[in-house]
Amino acid sequence: MSTVSAASATFTSPNRLSFLSKQGTGNNASNLKMVTAGWAKNGFPSLRTSRFRVSCAAKPETVQKVCDIVRKQLALPAETDLTPESKFSALGADSLDTVEIVMSLEEEFGISVEEESSQNITTVREAADLIEKLVQSKAEA
Amino acid sequence: MNIHCLQRAFSSASSSLVPLQLPSPMDTHFWYVLPEEVKSASLVNEYLGLLSPCERDNVLSMRGDQLKKSALLARVLVRTTIARYTNFQVDPKSLKFTKNRYGKPGVDWQTEDGWLPPSLHFNISHTSSLIACGVTVDSPIGIDVEEKSRRLNNHILAFARRYFSSCELEHLTVISDPEIQRQEFMKLWTLKEAYVKALGRGFSAAPFKTFTIRFKAPTRGNCLSTDKATEASEIIVESFGDPKNLTSNWQFALVELAGSHYAAICIERAKTIEGGNFSVPMKLTVRRTIPFVEDESVSENSVVAIGGQLCINDHIH
Repeated sequence: MSTVSAASATFTSPNRLSFLSKQGTGNNASNLKMVTAGWAKNGFPSLRTSRFRVSCAAKPETVQKVCDIVRKQLALPAETDLTPESKFSALGADSLDTVEIVMSLEEEFGISVEEESSQNITTVREAADLIEKLVQSKAEA
Repeated sequence: MNIHCLQRAFSSASSSLVPLQLPSPMDTHFWYVLPEEVKSASLVNEYLGLLSPCERDNVLSMRGDQLKKSALLARVLVRTTIARYTNFQVDPKSLKFTKNRYGKPGVDWQTEDGWLPPSLHFNISHTSSLIACGVTVDSPIGIDVEEKSRRLNNHILAFARRYFSSCELEHLTVISDPEIQRQEFMKLWTLKEAYVKALGRGFSAAPFKTFTIRFKAPTRGNCLSTDKATEASEIIVESFGDPKNLTSNWQFALVELAGSHYAAICIERAKTIEGGNFSVPMKLTVRRTIPFVEDESVSENSVVAIGGQLCINDHIH
């Protein structure tokens, strides 16, 4: 398994990178991590919030609730990094997990998700966007 | 060079992939691999080498070694299993795949020199602890495997109320023992998944509420059963408001594998000359494998029929 582990080291960081504009291609995983930490100290949170507004229509609280539900369903260890772009399948969700996640989201937000839409829920962000849309149209009804 | 139909199958000596005869029209071949049995780093490297760049990226994007491993083994199982039936014409690495409009994978045969590819169908399913691939000839197939001990995070009846048909909800509601209720839920789930995968439509395009799966007492008389046919209940599907999809076309089997998993298999029945359907038990051949290392016929203790009319062979013809 050593080959697979070594290869995986270079892939652990990209999920963090989604918050940053492309800062060059860091080949060294530890360099990438240092860049992330540096940003976090220098006003990165506000940058991140504005990135959220640009790239993610859903409110941060919605995203957070989705993350909590996903973490619980997939029993993710606390150290597992979960971002709006995280793919459920990459976190180990199978079809039953996805359906359970959708059901939990329906209960949490008081919405109803058509089965046809469930195939479009593959990431935290997609779930959050759909929730916002459904909550909004429910409020307008 | 299309000898595959005529070649006699070899017995399962341990070796690299031995060419196999295709399943005959009413046979289903079921292969599975247990990730815990794949330990060697060099074997994992060899497996990685079989994948397309896209598949490799996908495997490496999985979070954690266990998920990477099962994603890798799923691709390896599909590639090596299909390659077995091509009589050395195609090696596992060179197989190409395509998807139907709902995302169901199929083989994209690269034909040269007028070679006729085998008309086989396949479907895979995996849990973290078992990965399976079913193969048939001339019949769409869907399979689903789940750990027997799997627990839902949601309440079972709430889940069934939301996603299953009212008949199925009722079937579950009257079960007072929570453990048995949970097991019956898992059996229904795997059968429903196998069905929508056989249809090629998946959960989104064939919502689970729109059809009922149930167990029915076996009918004798018009059933051509062999000595080994089980007396298990027939499993049938009834679909609401879908005239295009004749549900009597579909045949199910449900088995318990290695004492730890449920495996559901759904295939389309063969047609009679008159256009009706044969009512013949499914002939199931189950093999446990470590690709390139060993293949093993599975003993009767390891595959236990739970439902559906089927015969479980212990060797491939």
